[in-house]
Amino acid sequence: MDSGKLHISVPVSRNRVISKLPKWYTPESCLQFKEDFHGKVKGACQNRHTRSGGLNISKVVVVGDLYVGKTCLINRFCKDVFDRDYKATIGVDFEIERFEIAGVPHTLQIWDTAGQEKFKCIASAYYRGAQVIVTVFDLADIKTLEHTRQWLQDALKENENTSPNIFLVGTKRDLLSPAECERTENDAIRIASEMQAEYWSVSAKTGQNVQEFFFRMAALAFEESMLRELENSSLSTARIGEANVIRIDENAEAPQSKRTAEPGLGCC
Amino acid sequence: MAERALRIPERIEEITEPEELERLYQQLCEEERTVEAELESFVNQKGSIAAKMIALQRMGPNLQLIEGDASQLSGMIKFTCNLAENVSSKVRQLDLAKNRIYQAIQRADDILDLKFCMDGVQTALRNEDYEQAAAHVHRYLSLDQSVIELSRQGGEDSMLDTNLSLLQEAEQHLKVIVAEKLDQAIKEGDLPQVERFFKIFPLLGLHEEGLGRFSQYLCTQLASKAAQNLQLAMGVELSEARAALVFADTLTLLFEGIARVVETHQPIVETYYGPGRLYTLIKHLQVECDRQAEKVVDKFIERRTYHRKFQVVQNNMMRNSSERIEPRELDPILTEVTLMNARAELYLRFLRRRITSDFEVADSAAPEGITQEHQKSLEKLLNDCLLSRNMQELIGYYITMEEYFMKETVNKAVAMDTYEKGQLTSSMVDDCFYIVKKCIGRALSSSSIDCLCAMINHATSVLESDFREVLFNKLRQGFPATTLQDIQRGVSSAVSLMQSSLQQGKFDTKGIESSEEAKTSFLVTLNNVEVCSENIMTLKRTLENDCAKLFSQGSGKGDQARAKIDSCLSDLVAVSSKFKDLLQEGLTELNTTAIKPQVKPWITSLLSISHNIEEEEFNEYEANDPWVQQFIVSLEQLTTEFKAGLSSVIYDNLTSLITSLIATELEKTVFKSIFSRLGGLQFDKELRSLIAYLTTITTWTIRDKFARLTQMATILNLERVTEILDYWGPNSGPLTWRLTPAEVRQVLALRIDFRSEDIKRLRL
Ligand SMILES: Nc1nc2c(ncn2[C@@H]2O[C@H](COP(=O)(O)OP(=O)(O)OP(=O)(O)O)[C@@H](O)[C@H]2O)c(=O)[nH]1
Ligand SMILES: [Mg+2]
Repeated sequence: MDSGKLHISVPVSRNRVISKLPKWYTPESCLQFKEDFHGKVKGACQNRHTRSGGLNISKVVVVGDLYVGKTCLINRFCKDVFDRDYKATIGVDFEIERFEIAGVPHTLQIWDTAGQEKFKCIASAYYRGAQVIVTVFDLADIKTLEHTRQWLQDALKENENTSPNIFLVGTKRDLLSPAECERTENDAIRIASEMQAEYWSVSAKTGQNVQEFFFRMAALAFEESMLRELENSSLSTARIGEANVIRIDENAEAPQSKRTAEPGLGCC
Repeated sequence: MAERALRIPERIEEITEPEELERLYQQLCEEERTVEAELESFVNQKGSIAAKMIALQRMGPNLQLIEGDASQLSGMIKFTCNLAENVSSKVRQLDLAKNRIYQAIQRADDILDLKFCMDGVQTALRNEDYEQAAAHVHRYLSLDQSVIELSRQGGEDSMLDTNLSLLQEAEQHLKVIVAEKLDQAIKEGDLPQVERFFKIFPLLGLHEEGLGRFSQYLCTQLASKAAQNLQLAMGVELSEARAALVFADTLTLLFEGIARVVETHQPIVETYYGPGRLYTLIKHLQVECDRQAEKVVDKFIERRTYHRKFQVVQNNMMRNSSERIEPRELDPILTEVTLMNARAELYLRFLRRRITSDFEVADSAAPEGITQEHQKSLEKLLNDCLLSRNMQELIGYYITMEEYFMKETVNKAVAMDTYEKGQLTSSMVDDCFYIVKKCIGRALSSSSIDCLCAMINHATSVLESDFREVLFNKLRQGFPATTLQDIQRGVSSAVSLMQSSLQQGKFDTKGIESSEEAKTSFLVTLNNVEVCSENIMTLKRTLENDCAKLFSQGSGKGDQARAKIDSCLSDLVAVSSKFKDLLQEGLTELNTTAIKPQVKPWITSLLSISHNIEEEEFNEYEANDPWVQQFIVSLEQLTTEFKAGLSSVIYDNLTSLITSLIATELEKTVFKSIFSRLGGLQFDKELRSLIAYLTTITTWTIRDKFARLTQMATILNLERVTEILDYWGPNSGPLTWRLTPAEVRQVLALRIDFRSEDIKRLRL
């Protein structure tokens, strides 16, 4: 498909430029310890101008209980505003953020889902095809942390064939004393490692860690998508001219194993 | 210069060198000359300066005259100025006086009015002429309060005081009466009286109260009509035409009723209450609308067992229930829900339009803050009303049920897949897309963008996972290679096979049939895959158009909604290319496992035909073609079968693969043969026939694929080794060589009559 279609070439605003891989929040719960982008990705970025440009969009789905502050978190980052009044999200909301990462344009499509039970049917229809899942809880309301497991499970069910990047985010950090915060963070980090998620504490009210978090997420999503694209393009060149590599037989790989490098019907 | 003049006498004794002395002397002489020249020029100017002095002296008396004139002028100006100041201060005083007079007149008028009001209100009240009374009170209320204060301070205070308090009393009295009368008229349902008193409220400054009471009247009317409609709806027989949509219809009646009320009464409100009041009226009406709509929704949920059905569906989806629900059973209810939502959206859009334009008139000169405040309260009214919330809930359930409906029905269509001879595709493709279109179409008809996007996402999932999986699995079974022998031998050999089997006493038709079936199934699946990818694109285009229509009607929140749709549609398109990939892979599979093993021996059989030939054999070949004719016939047989079974697009793709295969294999074979001069000519003829034939079976240009072979044939046809230079390098003309120099040498070496020294010596 013409993946460039959604990428309207509006110049990326100056405060959305990421040149180095941003750092994690806490090493106890972190998806990537590298200091910089994957070598292959950096290489690809440098001779980007020779490429037609691949899938430069990542879909981000934000889930979590009602009132935990999903919408506020997104609005703080995208619009730099904070609203004290609670306005429940109806169904889903949607924001687009354009970045320039390592010199390459990349777009985050952020789907803000509603936490209210009655919107679950509608919101869950948007989980599929996510490259990033952000599960959000309220640091000041411990039961919302427990619920993140269920939220993640629901979101992952719609993404069985891919393995999205997962983030666990605690909000409203400004409401807690440092001691309280540390206690809750310890619990959260434990759950995050069970989930294989990266953990972040933020406050939409003060803006603390909000930009850092989004930059980190954007950069990791970008790297993923570049690696995937590189993998795909090497697959498709392998296919051209070497027709006999492709073989369909009863023992062929099941389609679930998406990351196996073996070409075949299962690879798409 | 001054510095030098000072320094010279000081140092003059110190100067010992005659050169130095000489130099200084020269310098002094120089200076003397300059000074002399200057003096000269001053002396020369003396004459002209004297003349100027004389002229000045002559001007003296004139200047005295001017001075006299000037002082006279100044005196005149001073006088005029004083005069003007005097006049203007008088004008100012006059102005002030005039203003005071106006104010006095105004005040006198006001006082007269006040008196008139005092008298008038009493009379009007006595005569039950409430309009007149209200008009008097209105006049009183719009009087400047300071006038009244001032009047009090005037002489006749006691008199005025009593009158004023009488007037205030009358005002209170009137308020009570009007309220009572309006309530009574409402109770009696007496519309003319209701309207009569409704119009009086704004005169008394009671806009909100008037609108409140009036809406109460309207709400009662709405409620009784709604109750009646619901009653009727409950009595509708199942057999009646619109029985399946009865709740949507009842809701529609309710909305239409409210719209009519708004239409009818907006003019009075605007005329008597001014613009910007419609919001208040509608806010009151919406409360009743919410109440009545909820009743309809509740009945709908109860009668259609909506929640129960949802529960069953949900359990089914989670695979933890044995209780199944037929998708067919859900069909009507899903249609009804989307219609209900569409009606609600339409109604809310109507309200939005009306209130917005009313605010626009009222706020045309208002500050930004007020406009925003109004906009905010409008959003709140429309988004947070119970009606919206009820609809959101219904749509939430709807989406899950629609997803279930789509999944189940698609699975059923797959299970009941049939293939009719002569058709390219089987029934499941058309059936599945019919279902997917139906479900998305239904979601679209709800007018809710979120709902539509959600269904597009579910459809994408179903097509990608459920449906593509089925096709993928069918292709994975492969194209049965064994049957190809049967194809090749044609029907007659199949008959002989049958006979031989019969002779052996065991005739297994099943083997032939099932592999025949497997073969058809593979080709049909390829066609199915292609049609799917096409259908998805068509579906996407249709949806784009439909959405454009929806947006032009003012649904959704503009850009954001558009971006949502775009995103969902591009996910859908991605699935189309996955189908395309699947097709390519299926074709490659067909080519490698079924076609290649057949075609390859036909080509390698060329090796057994000697191309190291002389005149006699060449003529013999001419009369009796040794290879290419048979090869073409075999190819024809092979491709005919596929041509009938595959869509033209796929067949084209396949023939393209086949021609590539032939080109590669033939090249390999040629490199294994040896050629004489005439053998080369023979090969050239053979290649030409082959290319001519292949051109007829494919719409792709095959010249390119055979370019290397054609060039090899050219080389094999050369008279002498060096003749190649006539075609090589600068002499190549329009020809682009596809062979490397090494390959050219390799081909030349195939000619047994070319000496390898000559080839080695060749400069390429
Ligand atoms: N003190 C503080 N309050 C916050 C913060 N983030 C959000 N809130 C408040 O929490 C409430 C809920 O925030 P939302 O962002 O609307 O919650 P949500 O998760 O989007 O809720 P749903 O849309 O219903 O799922 C609001 O009243 C916010 O003002 C924060 O960082 N600090
Ligand atoms: Mg929200």
